[in-house]
Amino acid sequence: MSGNNQSLLEILLNDSSFVNWANQSNQNDIVFWDEWINNNPKHIKTVYAAKAIINGIKFNKSQLPEEKVNSELSAIIHKISTKKNTNKIGSKKRKFLSKFLKLSALAAIGILLIILSNNVLNSSSKVIQKTGFGEIVELKLPDGTTVILNGNSQISYDKSNVRNIDLKGEAYFKVKSIPSTHAKFWVNTEDLKVEVYGTQFHVNTREEKTEVVLDEGSIHLVLDNGTTTKMIPGELVSFSKEKNTVSQKKISTELPYSLWRDGTYVFNNITLETVMKNVKQAYGVDIEFMDEELKQQLLTGGIPNQNLKICLSAIEKSTGTRIVHKDNKLTLYKNSNN
Amino acid sequence: MESSTDKSIWLLFIAGDINAFATLFKLYYSPLHNYGLKISNNTVLTEDCLQSFFVYLYENRLKLGNVNHVKSYLFVSFRRALLKILKREKKFTSYEQIFENSKSFEFSIEELLIQQEFTKIKTTTLTKLLNSLTVREREAVYLKYYSNLKINEIAEVMSISYQSVLNTLQKAFTKLRNLVESHEIKQAFNLN
Repeated sequence: MSGNNQSLLEILLNDSSFVNWANQSNQNDIVFWDEWINNNPKHIKTVYAAKAIINGIKFNKSQLPEEKVNSELSAIIHKISTKKNTNKIGSKKRKFLSKFLKLSALAAIGILLIILSNNVLNSSSKVIQKTGFGEIVELKLPDGTTVILNGNSQISYDKSNVRNIDLKGEAYFKVKSIPSTHAKFWVNTEDLKVEVYGTQFHVNTREEKTEVVLDEGSIHLVLDNGTTTKMIPGELVSFSKEKNTVSQKKISTELPYSLWRDGTYVFNNITLETVMKNVKQAYGVDIEFMDEELKQQLLTGGIPNQNLKICLSAIEKSTGTRIVHKDNKLTLYKNSNN
Repeated sequence: MESSTDKSIWLLFIAGDINAFATLFKLYYSPLHNYGLKISNNTVLTEDCLQSFFVYLYENRLKLGNVNHVKSYLFVSFRRALLKILKREKKFTSYEQIFENSKSFEFSIEELLIQQEFTKIKTTTLTKLLNSLTVREREAVYLKYYSNLKINEIAEVMSISYQSVLNTLQKAFTKLRNLVESHEIKQAFNLN
């Protein structure tokens, strides 16, 4: 029995998700472990012990003054060097071994320094911009391009090449054209590369595929499978590397693809299931439909998307549903009053 | 200060590089000094022991062989050296005796940060409660949270198993929790 408990303690201490719970640092882990504890009340003592071990005791660590350490060091070095002179033996074999060790250690340090300096250089020149759930941020890049980053998204680029952006999540780009040099601008996703001169377009990389909607101008897409395709305004291209599927179609650009950037999702005869998928991606919540029929209900209109509470109440009002928000999960019920 | 850097410095030190030796010394003198004081409560004895310990390390570097964790190796060898001296000085018969009823690893109020994740009670009270743990429990707590050693390194230093370190820490915190709770109950009644 106690043996079992001990191994659980060890498992918990080595579980990064549990460590997050103990430090209350990740919403998903907090929800998961709160529920786990509710379902496993007999382990409560072990859980509390593990939490206490992780949180620990915070000490005010004292450090000896540098002068003290230095003076002790010179005393020791003095001791060593005087002893050395009195009994100098140094066999040839030992000298050779010492030289060999010294050389190999130097090589090791050299390699280490190269790795370290590479890391430092890379990290210092890399710029990363991230948004939290439900947060929309308008960014100005050094070349004058505007990026509107939707919630739960990230762009990153190298300072030495600001017109080559990596994107995760969803963003709208207004690329500044540089006619004098014809400098291109690239957006890289898991699935494809968007190549442009100066134009406005929208990229969404959620759901294991990348969608690109072009508002104006023209762009080239270099898909990860090697093919290239040209887009004209009002077109939507969707490509998944995993499934290797491409679709290219004309859409009404008014529709939900880009309007999130004004703080509104606009839906025109879209199923509630699709609407909730958007909510899920923007806020990182789980969705559960208590009634399958609800999924197919159609929705038209604008929904504010910068505040989850307002967003949910707008959906509730326009669809006659009741949405319960608990522990990072949304549950949709049919409103019995309707 | 992770082990890969430590290890390269260690290799250079073994090869006789005096600068590597100085770097090791600067990295670990202060933590070992603090650890020694916690064991012995005696500054002169700790510093004398540290002097001869580092001289011994340098002179015997070629016999030290391969060291996996530099930090825990230094902690465990220094602990052994210090206990040897203590045993001789106080004419103890065993190492265990040195720790019995001793003031080793007692904490002072100044050593505890006011902000504690673990409890909201006053630092003065927490210090008292911590000092009421057994010496072994206090050493484990000290090595884990003051010296930042990993569980397997603590096991090496205290020459006990990985599982025993976990048991010791678990026992320490369960005791602390109970003590904190009974303290809070007493306080509540006094206030009313």
